[in-house]
Amino acid sequence: MKQIFLFIKTYRVAAIMAIFLMLVELTVELIQPLIISKIIDDGIARDSTEVVLLWSGVLIAASLFAFAAGIVSSFYAAHVSQSLGYDIREKLYGKVQAFSYAVFNRFATSSLITRLTNDITQIQETTFMGLRFMLRVPLVVIGSLIMALVVHAGLGFLLLLTVPALFFVIIWIVKKAAILFHKVQQKLDAVNGVMLENLSGMRLIRVFVRRKQEATRFAHHSGELMQSSTSALRLTEITQPFIVLIMNAGIIAVLWFGQIEIHVGSATTGEVVAIVNYSLRTAGALSALSMLVSAFSRARASAQRVSEALMTDSGVLEGEGAPKASGSIEQGSVQFEKVTFQYPTIHTPVLENISFQVNPGEMVAILGATGSGKSSLMQLILRLYEEDEGVIRIDGRNARDWDTRHIHDSIGYVPQEVLLFTGTIRDNIEWGSVDVSFDQIVEAAKLAQIHDTIMQLPNGYDTMLGQRGINLSGGQKQRISIARALIRKPVILLLDDSTSALDVQTEAALLQGINSMACTTFLITQKISSTMNADLILLLDEGRLIGQGNHAQLMEASTLYRRIYESQFGEEGSHVESFK
Amino acid sequence: MWKALSEPFRYRKSTAAVQVVDAQNPQNVNRKKQKAKDWQATLKRIWHYLAHHKGRLSLVLFMVMLSSVLTLLGPYLIGRAIDQYLEGPGGSPWLLFLAGLAAVYVFSSLVSWLQNIWMIAIAQETVYRMRVDLFGHLHKLPIPFFAKRQRGELMSRMTNDIDNVSSTLNSSAIQVFSSVLILVGTVVVMLLLSPLLTLLTFLVVPLMVIGMKWITRRTGVLFKERQRNMGELNGFIEETLSGQRIIKAFSQEERVIGTFREHNARIKQSGFWAQTISGFIPKLMNGLNNLSFAIIAGVGGILAIRGAITVGVIVVFVEYARQFTRPINDLANQWNTLLSAIAGAERVFEILDEEEEAIDEGAARELESLQGAVSFSHVSFSYNKGEETLQDISFEASPGETIAIIGPTGAGKTSLIQLLSRFYEADSGSITVDGHEITTIRRESLRSHMAFVLQDSFLFEGTIRDNIRYGKLEATDEQVEEAAKLANAHSFIVRLEGGYDKILQGDGSGISQGQKQLLAIARAILADPAILVLDEATSSIDTVTEIKIQEGLQRLMEGRTSFVIAHRLNTIRRADQILVLQEGRLLEKGSHEQLLERRGLYSNLYQGRMQLQ
Repeated sequence: MKQIFLFIKTYRVAAIMAIFLMLVELTVELIQPLIISKIIDDGIARDSTEVVLLWSGVLIAASLFAFAAGIVSSFYAAHVSQSLGYDIREKLYGKVQAFSYAVFNRFATSSLITRLTNDITQIQETTFMGLRFMLRVPLVVIGSLIMALVVHAGLGFLLLLTVPALFFVIIWIVKKAAILFHKVQQKLDAVNGVMLENLSGMRLIRVFVRRKQEATRFAHHSGELMQSSTSALRLTEITQPFIVLIMNAGIIAVLWFGQIEIHVGSATTGEVVAIVNYSLRTAGALSALSMLVSAFSRARASAQRVSEALMTDSGVLEGEGAPKASGSIEQGSVQFEKVTFQYPTIHTPVLENISFQVNPGEMVAILGATGSGKSSLMQLILRLYEEDEGVIRIDGRNARDWDTRHIHDSIGYVPQEVLLFTGTIRDNIEWGSVDVSFDQIVEAAKLAQIHDTIMQLPNGYDTMLGQRGINLSGGQKQRISIARALIRKPVILLLDDSTSALDVQTEAALLQGINSMACTTFLITQKISSTMNADLILLLDEGRLIGQGNHAQLMEASTLYRRIYESQFGEEGSHVESFK
Repeated sequence: MWKALSEPFRYRKSTAAVQVVDAQNPQNVNRKKQKAKDWQATLKRIWHYLAHHKGRLSLVLFMVMLSSVLTLLGPYLIGRAIDQYLEGPGGSPWLLFLAGLAAVYVFSSLVSWLQNIWMIAIAQETVYRMRVDLFGHLHKLPIPFFAKRQRGELMSRMTNDIDNVSSTLNSSAIQVFSSVLILVGTVVVMLLLSPLLTLLTFLVVPLMVIGMKWITRRTGVLFKERQRNMGELNGFIEETLSGQRIIKAFSQEERVIGTFREHNARIKQSGFWAQTISGFIPKLMNGLNNLSFAIIAGVGGILAIRGAITVGVIVVFVEYARQFTRPINDLANQWNTLLSAIAGAERVFEILDEEEEAIDEGAARELESLQGAVSFSHVSFSYNKGEETLQDISFEASPGETIAIIGPTGAGKTSLIQLLSRFYEADSGSITVDGHEITTIRRESLRSHMAFVLQDSFLFEGTIRDNIRYGKLEATDEQVEEAAKLANAHSFIVRLEGGYDKILQGDGSGISQGQKQLLAIARAILADPAILVLDEATSSIDTVTEIKIQEGLQRLMEGRTSFVIAHRLNTIRRADQILVLQEGRLLEKGSHEQLLERRGLYSNLYQGRMQLQ
C-alpha cells in the first residue's frame, strides 16, 4: 500500500489541485442556501426587484464558477489517475523484465498479466473516484458533526457517538473485504490461466475433441470466480444498510433525548430540528458508501498484489554489487569446471560435475539422450540459471563476474521451440540487434538459408507473422529464428536442436556459413552427420558428461557414441535427411 | 510547480476525438445512426442475458420501489414528530411513534440490503454466463481465426472487458432504477406545487440533452478505444512474458520496455480523455442544476414580489429542486461506468459474432466407426489467396496402410494434415474418409476417430498422468502406464520426483522437449484411433531412444491408417505408400521399391543419401 502512495506523491500538485477544486464546488453548493435566504429576506420581503435580480445574478455567476472548477478538476483527477496507472504499470513491467529467469518462473504468466492490467486498472479507477467523491463523504460528515455540536453540545454529542461505530465498521469491512477481493483476483488469475492454456493448445484440444471437458474446467474456474466475487461484494454491500441503520438509531436517540431536553427547557425545538437535519444530511452523504467501500477494498487488494510483485527480490545473481567486469566478450572461450546444477523446483541435479574446455572459434556438438541435460547446459552458458557448484569461465573470467548483459550481448541463441513475435519478418530478424540496416537483415537471412523463401512471399520481408508465425512451416520459422540470432554477429552461438527441421544440404550450407563467422558454436543435435566435423563432442548421459573428444576419438572410446552412430548409419536406422 | 499545474492540459488530442469530428460531417450521418443502433443492440443483448433472471430481477425492482417509498417515508415521519410530538408531553403515544420510526428504519435497511445482495447474485451469474459463452464460442471458431489474433488480446476480453460489465451490473443497475423512480416522483410533486416553476426548472433540460449528447458522442468512442488499447497491451504483455527466455537471452529487456511504454502511453492517452470527458457529466449536471436554482430564485422572487406565489412555495421548490438534483447526479455518475461497460460488452459480443467454423449442417453425419480409408482427389488449398499451398493432390490410402509424407520444409506436409483434420477446408477437390466426403461428417465425430502427435507437443499444467490421459479420458492408471511404456516414456517418468503425479508447470520446466514428445506419443497411443497422424513426432528425440520407441510405434500403426511425416528411412521404407511433396505438388507416390524404380527425385535422394554414408 505504502508503495502505491509513493507513486501518487509524484502528482501531489495535481492531486491537491483536484481536491481544492472539488472544495470550491462544495463551497458554492453550501453558500447557495445563504444567497437564497438573502433573496427572500432582502429582496422579496422588501419588495426589491433589483436585489432579487442582483442575487440571482450572483447565483448564476457562482454556478458558472463551480461548473468551471468542476471541469478543470476533471482534467486534474484524470491526469493523476492515468499517470498513476501509467507509472505503476511501467514500473511493474520493468520489474518483471528485471526478474531473473528463475524468479520469473515463480509467477504464472496469467497472474502477471492480470496484475499488469486488471489490478492496476482497479487502483487507477479508485484513485479517480477518490479524488472526486471520496473526500466529499468525510467532509460532509465532519462538517455536519461540527455544526451539530455548535448548535447543541449535548444532542450533538449523541451524533458524535455514532462516529466510532461507523469508523470501526468501515475499517473492519475494508480489511475483511480486501482479503476476499484478493481471492477474487486470484480466481481471476486462474480463469486467465485456463484461457491462456486453451488459446495456446487450441489445435490439440480440437484434434482430441476435448471441447466439452475444457468447457467444464473453465466453467469450474469461472464458477469459483463468481462465488468469490459474490461473497466479497455481499460483504461490502452490508456497509450501507448497516451504517444507515446506525445513523438512524442516532436520529431516534436525538428525537428521544431532544423531546426530554425541550421539556426540561435546555433545548429549543429549532435546535433539535437543526440537529435532526444534520443527521439526515450525514446519512445522505453516506448513501454512496457501499460503492466506495467496495472500490477501496478492491483497490487495496490489487495494490497488495502489485506491491507483492514489486517487492519480489529480482533474484539477481550472487556477486551482484561487486564491481562487474567491464568490456565485452571477445574471444569466446568457454570453460566448465566441475559444474553441478539443479532447477529450483526439482531436487535432483540435472547436471553433475561437468568439466570441459572450449577454445575460441571451435564448434562443439552436444549429444545425448532425451532428458540428459543438453538444453540445461546451454541455459547455464546463457546465464538464465546459475550453476550450484563449480565454475563456468567465459574468456577466462568467472561467468559470475561478467555483467550478464555483456554475456548476452555476445551470444546468439536459437531456442528449441520457435518463439516469434507479432510483426513482420523484418521486425523479427531485426529484433536480434539494434540499429541494423536492411542489408544486414538480408545478409543474416541469407546465412540462415531463408532469404530465398522470404523473397517468394508476396510481401517479402514485410510479410506479417501472425501469432507464432502461423502460416510458415516449422522449418521456415526455425530459420527466421536462426537469422535473428546471426544478425547479432555473436561471439558465441548457441543452437539448441534448432536445425532439426532442416535438410542436409541446407544444414550443411548453414554450418558452413557459421564457420565463416568464426564464432564459438555450441550445437545440440541428434545427428551424427553434424557432429562429425565438430572440434569437440560432448556426450551427456543422465546429467553426466560421459565422453568428450572428436568423432574419431569417441568412436573408439565410447560405447554409447558407437551405439548412436549405429542407430543412424547402421542397417537399422538410416536417416533420409535429404527428404526433410 | 507551473509545469505540474499545466500538465493535464497538454495531452494530445485523441484520435477518437478526430473521428467524432468526422462523424459530425453530414455525409457521415448514417454512421452516426449506425452507432446509436449498435448501442441499442448492445444494451439489448445485455438485457437478453439479464432476462434469464426475470423473476429475481422483478423482485429486486419491487424492493427498489419499496425502499424508495421507505426513503420518502422517513423524512415525512420526522416531520410529523417535530410537528406533533417534540413539544408534547411524551408518554406512550410518543414511544409508540418512535418504535414505529425504528421499525421503518430497520425495514428500510433490510430491504436495501436484500436488493443489493440479490442484484449481486444476478450480476455475477450474468457475467459468469457471458464468460462461459465466450469461452465456448472460442472453441467453435475456425483455426484461422486464432492465426490472426494475439492470445493476450483475446484474454483481455475475457477479463478486463467482462469486468467492466460486472462492476456496472453490481452497483449501477440499482442506482439507475432508484434514481429514475425518485426522479419521476419528484417531478410529479413539483408539477402539483407549481407548473410554472416546474417549467422553469426544466428550462435547463435541453441544455442537459445537448451537453450529454456532446459528451457521450466522444466518450463512447473513447472508452472503446481505451479497451482496445488495453487489449493490445495485454497481447503485448502475454507475448513478451511467454517469450521471456528469448528476451533474457538477447538482453532485449530495454527494447520490449520501450515498446511497452508506447502501448502504455496510448492507454494513458485514451484513458485520460475518456475519464476527463465522462467526468464532465456530473459537473455538467451539477452546474445546470445550480443554474435552475438561480432561475427559480430569481423568477420566483419576482413572482413573489408581484404576489403571484408565496415565499413558502419558493422555499419548498428550491428544496425539491435539490432533490431533483440528487438522482440526476447519481445517474450521471453511473453513466461513466455504464459507458465503459457498453464498450466492454461490445468487445465481448464482437467475438461472439465471429462466424463459427462452417457449421456442421443438420445433415452432417456422425461416424459410428471408421475403417480408415482415406482419399484425396484433386485437392487444392491456399492460406492466402494467390499463394497455392497445395495443388491438385490426389492419392488413396486403404485401411491400415502407412503413408509417409516427405519433402523439404514448406512443401505443404503439415498443411495436408491440417486439411485431413478439417482445421482448414480445401478450396477445391474432395477428401473422403471411408467413402464419405469429410465435409459431411461432423468435425468432432471425424476427429474422435483420429489421434495426432503435432509438431509442437503442447502440455497442460497438471500431472503427467492427466496429460497422457488427455488421449482417452476414461483410461485406467494401468492403461496410462502401458501407453507410457510403449512410448518409452515410463522410465524417465518414474525417475522424476512424484513420478506420474508430478505436476508439470506451464512453461514445462524440468522436462525436456524430447520428453514432451514422448508424452505426446503416449497420449496418442492411449487414444487408440482408426487414423493416426504423426507430424515430426520424433524430431526432438535422440536416435537411440527413437529406435527404442520404433517398435512401439510400429505396433501402434498396425491395423490403422497412419500418416507419418518423418525422416527415418526405416519408417519411410516400411511405409505402404510414400508421398513426395515439393512446393505444394505431389511429385511422386508409391512404395519404396516402386519409387526407386522410377528413378525420380526419391531415388536420386535415396542414392545420394547412400553415397553420403
